[in-house]
Amino acid sequence: MTPRHHLNEATLVSFAAGALSPEMTAVAATHLEACRDCRDRLAHAERIGGLLLGQQQANELDTARRARLRHEMLDRLDESTQSRRDGTIQTRSLDVSPSDPDGLPQPLQAYFGPTWSALRWRWVAPGVHMIRAAHTSRDTLLLLKIAPGKSMPVHSHQGTELTQILQGAYDDALGHFSPGDAADLDNETEHQPITAPGMPCICVAAMDAPLRFPGWLARKLQPLVGL
Amino acid sequence: MSSIETHAKDAGYWAGQMVAVSCKRDRDSFMRIYDHFAPRVQLYLKGLGSSEAVAEELTQEALLRLWQRAELYDAARSGLSTWLFRIARNLHIDRVRREPQWVPVQDALERLDEPEDAGPSPAESYAEHADLRNRIERLPATQARLIRMSYFEAKSHQEIAGELGMPLGTVKSCLRRAFLRLQLGVRRGA
Repeated sequence: MTPRHHLNEATLVSFAAGALSPEMTAVAATHLEACRDCRDRLAHAERIGGLLLGQQQANELDTARRARLRHEMLDRLDESTQSRRDGTIQTRSLDVSPSDPDGLPQPLQAYFGPTWSALRWRWVAPGVHMIRAAHTSRDTLLLLKIAPGKSMPVHSHQGTELTQILQGAYDDALGHFSPGDAADLDNETEHQPITAPGMPCICVAAMDAPLRFPGWLARKLQPLVGL
Repeated sequence: MSSIETHAKDAGYWAGQMVAVSCKRDRDSFMRIYDHFAPRVQLYLKGLGSSEAVAEELTQEALLRLWQRAELYDAARSGLSTWLFRIARNLHIDRVRREPQWVPVQDALERLDEPEDAGPSPAESYAEHADLRNRIERLPATQARLIRMSYFEAKSHQEIAGELGMPLGTVKSCLRRAFLRLQLGVRRGA
């Protein structure tokens, strides 16, 4: 799976800077797991961060305080040399192994649970199922499952919508999107995805403002979908 | 320019100090790194919104991690300041913003590329480092401002747009252009 649609550079910069919301981070990280190209660009964005950190003009703390901190650090070096052998690097274990075909991408597990099979889809409209993540910050995070060959209402965004395709595929004016691809859209994009035939299209989407649907059908759908 | 300043600007110098820490657990080298970087890390953490006391505590912890995990340092993979930037950023998001998903996601991403090719030689990466520094200094004012608001204040695109009265699309395209400008040398200079 070599993705053809990537994260916007502005998104990579904000990911590296720690400036994305947790929900945007989860979707961006799902793409990054699948995309070596974006991981290389992320490494560059982190180099920029390192360089800016090193370039800061550090103002002088008062010398007494700095000396105390320095002394404290020297003491802690001794302590940690002693405790170093008993495994200082903790890694948090995952609920499912990354190779388990039933496992959801790791960045999504905290929001939707560890496995595909345990997902509890909710019907929202003909051919459309959804799960909305609970416990989110101000942004919205959704899993969407759209039946094959289905046309979604034309919609635009007030803010940013970041989508990662997990299964199936869709087409819109921007091209063909299949598993591994990211659609990184802002408020200047109006689009109408049509899912490919064969299998449902499942994607995960984070958005930082409500969607806007023009037209009467969409206006009826909007309260239903609750976006 | 004093010799200390010359050293301070030399990514190779700091990588060398770090190699001494990771191979020989050299305390003098570590304390040279500490003296130079601790005030900078502290300033960065304060900029992200921590109080003086919290920034001070997290700075100590960030530098201690550098000591504890020194054997994981790979000069060919990242400069010392990049490594420290990642440690400080991760501590801030984990402890201050309390986003428990952040660290596991970072760890998982990092593991993906571990056994890969060795990357550029240290000498190449120091040259790239100097080139990147020049490019940052030559960024147009607006791009430089958006880059600083992103890295030093962790502002989202929406927040930047709101604060500067710019359309969201302009913020994104401006950040994008800044990144591409800073990337040019890496791609073409090799």
